[in-house]
Amino acid sequence: MDAMTAMAKAWTSAGSIAAKRLFLDRQAEFWLGELDPLRSLREIRARVLEVLEETSDTKTFLLRPNGAWSGHRAGQHTLVEVEIDGARVRRCYSISSVPGDELVSITVKRTPGGRVSTWLHEQVRVGHILRLGAPAGDFVLPAPPPDKLLLLSGGSGITPVMSMVRDLAARDAIFDVVFIHYARSRDDVIFHEELTELAARHRGLSLLLCLDDDASTPVGFDEAHFAELVSDFAERSTFLCGPGPLMERAERLWESVGASERLEREHFTPALSPVPPGTSPKEVQVCLTHSERDLVLEGEGSLLERLERAGERPAHGCRIGICHTCKCRKQSGTVQNAVTGEVSSEPDQEIQLCISVPCSDLELGL
Amino acid sequence: MKTESKNLTQQESDAFGRELDALRQEVVADLGERDVAHIRQIIRTANRSEAAGRVLLHFGFGPMSFVLGTTALGLSKILENMEVGHNVMHGQYDWTGDPALDSQRYEWDNVCTGDDWRHSHNFEHHMFTNILGKDRDVGFSFLRVAPEQPWSPSCLVQPISAGAMALLFQWGVGLHNLRLEEVATGDQTPAELGRRALPFAKKAGWQLFKDYVFFPTLALGNAPRVLFGNLLANGIRNVWAFAVIFCAHFPEGVRVYDEAETEHESRGQWYVRQLNGSANIEGNRWFHLLTGHASHQIEHHLFPDIPASRYPEMAPRVQEVCARYGQSYNTDGFRRQLSSVFRRIMRLSLPGPRLEAKPPRPTSRKAAATNAAWNAEASEHHAVA
Repeated sequence: MDAMTAMAKAWTSAGSIAAKRLFLDRQAEFWLGELDPLRSLREIRARVLEVLEETSDTKTFLLRPNGAWSGHRAGQHTLVEVEIDGARVRRCYSISSVPGDELVSITVKRTPGGRVSTWLHEQVRVGHILRLGAPAGDFVLPAPPPDKLLLLSGGSGITPVMSMVRDLAARDAIFDVVFIHYARSRDDVIFHEELTELAARHRGLSLLLCLDDDASTPVGFDEAHFAELVSDFAERSTFLCGPGPLMERAERLWESVGASERLEREHFTPALSPVPPGTSPKEVQVCLTHSERDLVLEGEGSLLERLERAGERPAHGCRIGICHTCKCRKQSGTVQNAVTGEVSSEPDQEIQLCISVPCSDLELGL
Repeated sequence: MKTESKNLTQQESDAFGRELDALRQEVVADLGERDVAHIRQIIRTANRSEAAGRVLLHFGFGPMSFVLGTTALGLSKILENMEVGHNVMHGQYDWTGDPALDSQRYEWDNVCTGDDWRHSHNFEHHMFTNILGKDRDVGFSFLRVAPEQPWSPSCLVQPISAGAMALLFQWGVGLHNLRLEEVATGDQTPAELGRRALPFAKKAGWQLFKDYVFFPTLALGNAPRVLFGNLLANGIRNVWAFAVIFCAHFPEGVRVYDEAETEHESRGQWYVRQLNGSANIEGNRWFHLLTGHASHQIEHHLFPDIPASRYPEMAPRVQEVCARYGQSYNTDGFRRQLSSVFRRIMRLSLPGPRLEAKPPRPTSRKAAATNAAWNAEASEHHAVA
C-alpha cells in the first residue's frame, strides 16, 4: 500500500514538473480563467455575492470562494488582494463569518486615506472577484471552548470575535460568555442587531456596550469602570481585539493582576507613515525573513551596498536599476528609490535593492 | 547618409540625461490599468492563436488548414516571445505585483532559459550596449558588424553564417550565454562550460520534446503534419526575430564604443551611448506590436523597464530632445534598415574599411564614476524638480 502511495506521489510530482516544462500549467490556468474568472489552479479567488452596509463606514462583503479555500477557524484573518490602477495591493482582514459555511465574509471599516478599504468600499460591486490568502492567525478559540469566556473588542476589532460568537452559537456552545464592546455611538456598533438577537436567544451570553456618547459612562476604556462591569475578568479566557490605545490599556490591566497568560490578542498592523525623503538613517535594523537573520546595516549607500558591506551576497546585476535582478519583496519598512525619489512605505512591495535607500528598519524577503 | 551625432560635453550629456529622466518619471507616474489590460490582452491573443493553430494542425487536413495553423502558431510564438516574454523579463510589469508578470520568474517558449536571458540580455547587453569586448551582442560574438571589429578570414563566410543564424535564431540566443568561443581561447574551462550548459540542455530538451514528440504524438495519425508545422512555426519566429533584432543595432549610423572611453561614464553619458548604439524601425501599430516594440529600440534602450507599448508615445518626445542636443536619431523603414544591415554584413566580410581616428569622448575629472554618484545626482535632480 505504501509503495503504491509513494508511486502515485512520484507520478503526480513528475506530472506537474512535465506540465510546467511544457507550459501546460500556464495554459490550463489561462483557459480555466477564460471559462470562469473564479476558477484557478493557483489562487484562492472569491466572487462577491452581496455587499451589506453595517454602519455608515463599515461594509460586509459576502464571498463565495473557489475550491482552493480550505475553510477557516473563528478568529482567523485572510490577506485580501485587489488591483488598484493595475497594481496589486494586499491587506489583512479578519473573517467575520461562521467556520464551516461555504460562504465567507469579511467586514471592512473604511479608514480615511486607506487605499484598500476605500477601494473596497467605492469600487467593489456584486459579481467582482477578489483574491484571498489562505486563512491564517493564532487568534482562535481553543477546542473545546473554555467554560468562562470574555470577548473584548473595540471599533472594527469586533470582526474576529464576532466570528467566534457566531461559531459558538452555531454549535450551541454559549455557556458563560461576556461580550464587551467599545464604540463611539450605538450607530457605530457593527453587528448590533444580530448581537442583540443572540443575547436574547442565549442566556449564557451577556452583551455589554460601552459607548463614547453615553454621558453616564467614561469615554473609551476605563480600568475602574471595566472592572466594575466584569469583576471576574482575570479568571476568564479573554480574546481582545481593538484599536491600539484600547489594547495597550487592557494589556497593562491584565499584567497588573497577573493574568496575562489568559489574554489572547489580535493586533491590527498600522499603516506606516512615510519618512520624509532624504532622511536615510546611518544605522538600520534589517530582518531577512527567508534566511531568518537579523542584521544591523551601517553607513551610507543603497540597500544592496549596505547588505554587501554586512557580508550578504544578494543576487544582482547592473547596480543601476535597469535589469531587475536584485528585485526583492519588502515586507515592512520604508525605502526611497534613489533614482526617482519615490518613497515606498506600504508593506509587501517589490523593491530593487541597488537603487533603494533605507529610511527605516526593514523586513526583506531575502 | 545618416548624420552623425554631435559630441557632447559631460555637462551637456548630463542635461540630456536629466531631460530623459524627467520623461521617464512622467510615464512611470502614469502607468496603470491600461498597461496591464494591454499585456493581458496580448497574452490572451497569443493563447487563442496558439489554440487555433494547434486545432488546425491536429484535426485539419489539406494544405489550407496547414498553412493557417502554422501561421497562427508562429504568430503566437512571436507575440509570446517578443511582446510578452522579452518585455516581462525586463521588469516592465514588475510594478503590477502580478506573479504571472514577474520578471524574475517568467519563462518563455524558447530554447534559451529565462535565467540565461536575464543575464546575457538584461544585464550584459543593456548595461554595456555596443561596447566592443563587453557587449557580446555586437555581432553575437561571431559576426563582424562594425568596421572597428578586427577582420579575420572566418569573416568571409559570414553572409552564410548570418543566414543560418536567421533560421536557427532561438538556438543562437540559447547558446549565447554558454560563451563557447571562450573555451577555444582558454577563458573558460570545460567544467565551467558544463555548469553553464546544463540548464540550457534541460530547457532545450524539454522544448524539443514538446514541439517534436509530445504534440505530434497527441496528433496520432496527423503526427508528421504537426511535427512539420511546429518546425515551421519555430522557423517563422526565428527569422522574424532575427530580422528585427539585427535592425536594432547593426544598421549604418549605429556607433560602437571601446572600453576605455566608457570607463568613467555618467548617467547622462550612458543615455547618450544607448541612443547612439540603437536604431528604430518605422511602421504601423501592428508592425510595432509584432516586433514586441523592439522596433522602438532607441526608446527601449533608454527605458528598458518601461512597458514597451508606451514607446510609440514617448518616441516623438525623445526625438525632440535629441534634435535639441544635436543627436542623430537613427530611424528608417524596415526594408531600408534591413538592406543596410545586409550590405554591412556583406561589406565587412572583407577586410577594411580603414577607420578615421574618432574624436575622444569628453570627460571631466569630476566624472561620476560610481553608481552612488549617479543615484545621488538623480535624486538631487528629483528634489529640484
